[in-house]
Amino acid sequence: MPDSTALNLRLGIASLLASGFLFFYAIPRFVSAPSNINNIVLSPLFWPYILSVLTALVGLGLIAVSITGEPEEDGFAEPGPMLPKWGRLAALALIMAATFLLLPALGMVWTSMLAFLATAFLFRTRHPVAAVICAVLIPLVLYGFFAHVAGVAVPQGNFVRLP
Amino acid sequence: MTYQRMGATIALCAGLAATGALAEYPERPINMIIPYGAGGATDISARTIAEPLGKAVGKPLVMANVTGAGGATGSVAAQNAKPDGYTMLFARVGSHSVNPAMKATLPYTLDDFRFVTVYEINPVACAVRAGSGIETMDDLIARVKEGGVSYASSGVGSLLHLAGAMVLKEFGVENPLEQATHIPQKGGGAAATAVLNGTATFLCTNSSAVASFVANDQLTPLMVTTEEPVVGFDAPTANELGKPRLNQLVGWTGIAGPAGLPDDVAAKWGDWMAQAVQDQEFLDTMQARGSVIELMDPEAANDFIEGQYKVFKALVDELGMRVEG
Amino acid sequence: MSLIESLAAGFALVGNIEAFLMLFCGLIVGVIGGAIPGLSATMAVALALPFTFSMAPINGILLLLGVYKGGIFGGSIPAILIKTPGTPASSATILDGHPMAERGEAGRALGMALYASCTADAVSNLALILFAGWLASFAMNFGPPEFFALILFSLTIIAGVSGESLLRGALSALAGLLLATIGLDLVYGTNRFTFGNPNMMGGLNFIAVLIGLFAIPEIIAMAWNPVAHLGKTRSLGKTRCTLADYLGSIKSILRGSLIGVFLGSIPGIGAAPSAFLSYSEARRTSKNKANFGKGEIEGVAASEAGNNGVAGATLIPLLALGVPGDVITAIIIGAFMVHGLQPGPMMFILNVDIIYGLFIGLIISSVLLLIVGSVAIRGFRFVADVPKRLLMPAVLVLCIYGVFAVNNNIFDVGVMLVMGWVGYLMMRARIPAAPFLIAFILGPLLEDNFRQAMLMSGSDPVILFRGPITWFFWALTGLTVFAITRSTLRKRVPLS
Repeated sequence: MPDSTALNLRLGIASLLASGFLFFYAIPRFVSAPSNINNIVLSPLFWPYILSVLTALVGLGLIAVSITGEPEEDGFAEPGPMLPKWGRLAALALIMAATFLLLPALGMVWTSMLAFLATAFLFRTRHPVAAVICAVLIPLVLYGFFAHVAGVAVPQGNFVRLP
Repeated sequence: MTYQRMGATIALCAGLAATGALAEYPERPINMIIPYGAGGATDISARTIAEPLGKAVGKPLVMANVTGAGGATGSVAAQNAKPDGYTMLFARVGSHSVNPAMKATLPYTLDDFRFVTVYEINPVACAVRAGSGIETMDDLIARVKEGGVSYASSGVGSLLHLAGAMVLKEFGVENPLEQATHIPQKGGGAAATAVLNGTATFLCTNSSAVASFVANDQLTPLMVTTEEPVVGFDAPTANELGKPRLNQLVGWTGIAGPAGLPDDVAAKWGDWMAQAVQDQEFLDTMQARGSVIELMDPEAANDFIEGQYKVFKALVDELGMRVEG
Repeated sequence: MSLIESLAAGFALVGNIEAFLMLFCGLIVGVIGGAIPGLSATMAVALALPFTFSMAPINGILLLLGVYKGGIFGGSIPAILIKTPGTPASSATILDGHPMAERGEAGRALGMALYASCTADAVSNLALILFAGWLASFAMNFGPPEFFALILFSLTIIAGVSGESLLRGALSALAGLLLATIGLDLVYGTNRFTFGNPNMMGGLNFIAVLIGLFAIPEIIAMAWNPVAHLGKTRSLGKTRCTLADYLGSIKSILRGSLIGVFLGSIPGIGAAPSAFLSYSEARRTSKNKANFGKGEIEGVAASEAGNNGVAGATLIPLLALGVPGDVITAIIIGAFMVHGLQPGPMMFILNVDIIYGLFIGLIISSVLLLIVGSVAIRGFRFVADVPKRLLMPAVLVLCIYGVFAVNNNIFDVGVMLVMGWVGYLMMRARIPAAPFLIAFILGPLLEDNFRQAMLMSGSDPVILFRGPITWFFWALTGLTVFAITRSTLRKRVPLS
């Protein structure tokens, strides 16, 4: 964790970059406006441009306080090795991506069971048996509730359909 | 085009093969997409027909509101579904005749859907705030010519947006887009409120959306677009004003499937709907809301929607209202 | 008809066991529905609507109102316990409610949420009964220029929820404003940042963004360090909210109720901004200012008073003008119409028995909410005792179901997951999430009303200062900005 000053400097630079990206590339390219607008304030582009300029101003402000401001408290150093932490983050990102991609094909119930199991064991739960039971039961109960009480069309997937 | 048609044919064959394999078509619940939010006109209409329709179908109908982008998000969900009759869409005038006529960037066209029925027609009424000094359409047109008139809508590409322009044009305003200002709001309720609080001068919308304001003397109706007068609206019809072309300007609700929907599925829906609209409770509820129940079979529904689309498209092209980009 | 006669007619309508039963059922359904993230009060009301078609009008409407009020309170339960707002309105409750639960004071926070909710509910109902006509005609003076000024003022809330750094709060708010521009343009219907994806044309789903921003980062943080929570006294769900707690926060509760009544009676704002405004006002004036955001019970009280104060007041434009103030009342108006009732000034003459019946029902609902809520708290408190490494996967699964159910769209689940990583990044960079959320709600309102005002006036900016209401809010905005600047310069609110 960086201290407050370095953090503000980094955030300030990042905001300036983001603002420049928006102003010069993203807004002209991805916001379409009709050609026959008589007044700039009515254009769909007006508000996004204002926001990108404000982002730049806040970025400058952050850089300014990081230069002038005295560092407040130091960030706390994290104990322990960093590699497993980053590894678990990456694994969780993978789990989430897989969940999203499998949802339409596998159906919500089965995907949720897998996601539950994967995250519970990623967090090295102390109750593995309970985790497995919960992983099976919670998606089923939620399915029962959402599909039959709330009347939601829960995605069923292409393989095993539940009643 | 040929490529698209080929795709449709393949989809059709696949659909036929699927239905061939499953002898009885509805063998599991049918997913019904409502492309507008809970509590809106489409939603209430859909949920009211779902009751008797579900009895006719014999399997549950699972209602799913998929809202966003003036009905486009839900329509796309139905467009991309398998054409097996297990995903159907409640199509509405906004999503399936005004939007396709107005928006160049819409991710679907009418050809992407197969309509199995239109079951409800909503008369359109134009109204102004009570006490605004406008009592008739002539007053309104005179005011337009003076300048400073605006009309509210529930968004770009909504029925209200097109209706405002179409009515003015029909009553002899040369260029309604220049001479009157369109002030879009978020949703039909907000559009009526905008007229009530003086943000906009008038609006033309489904009679059911303004019925309570008219009954409470908060809004003054100027006309209705149907041939027959509408109960509770003390205003002339378009025909009495000599503008029968405005009869095309009505709201409707129907049911559609993806383009490749097999013939036998469509036919079944025709039968089910014929049965469902007989239900007395359904009729009472809908009529209390000011709807006219008019059942169309699949062919008639397609012709009706196509016809309305062409009228709207011609107007949009003439006025240059098409949204590009 | 005299008041007494009207009251008697009203009593005759609701003076049966069925009406109470419906109200009671409605509250139960509402609290449960509100407590399930994604199901939300809106959907619970929509689900209950078809059941009311076959009931007597007053019973049906009372059922829906019960669901509505129960839902707004119910949303605070998961907000406090698992940092997942059950309804958008309860997102302000997270700011202090969740830290309290982390400290082992879930019971105390939930109790305060309930008492504040019931108090605000009662105030709101009273306002409806006494001032409906007056407030409604006042609300009708709100056109786009007035809304613009009001929302501009509301954006100053951001300073109140920015936490340790005003600039980082502003950055967060700007990100929210930018993200809210995604979708179809209001005035021209053209695409903004949609990349041709039909799912993005409707804009990012608000609830998906909300849950992604608050709930998912907790899960990701757990992956970073699965044992960080060990050793903290989390499982103590048995503390209670005392009378001293309640009295200590009574000023914030009453202020929040009034803010709720005011914002609720103006159509189109909703409960979430009201909760945040109430929270930031409480923080500004409290003597425990420094403790806000770290688990200050007054913060919970203020937010819950702010959002429940809206519940009764949204009925003001509904009954007096026939104008629905938010999505939920738009659904409730459907129930009126199905029974041939047309809300508006005439209803106070034609159906005065129903109006008074509703009033009586509403007053009783505040009391019933207290009962249903106490039972619900007892029922849900066990969640605080679940081992956190089992709870988090369960929250993930619940969020997936809930966010899908909002709009029946798998894309929204993706939005939630991506926003979760954005929220985690912000957490690591010590950027507060609340300004992002407020900006995401208010940004589109600000822009739309600005452009509507410009359309009205033919792009003449003078319209933004067109009457006393606009002057009032401009002055208020000016004063607030001045106060923020001054205290920042004096280093009372740290800038960096």
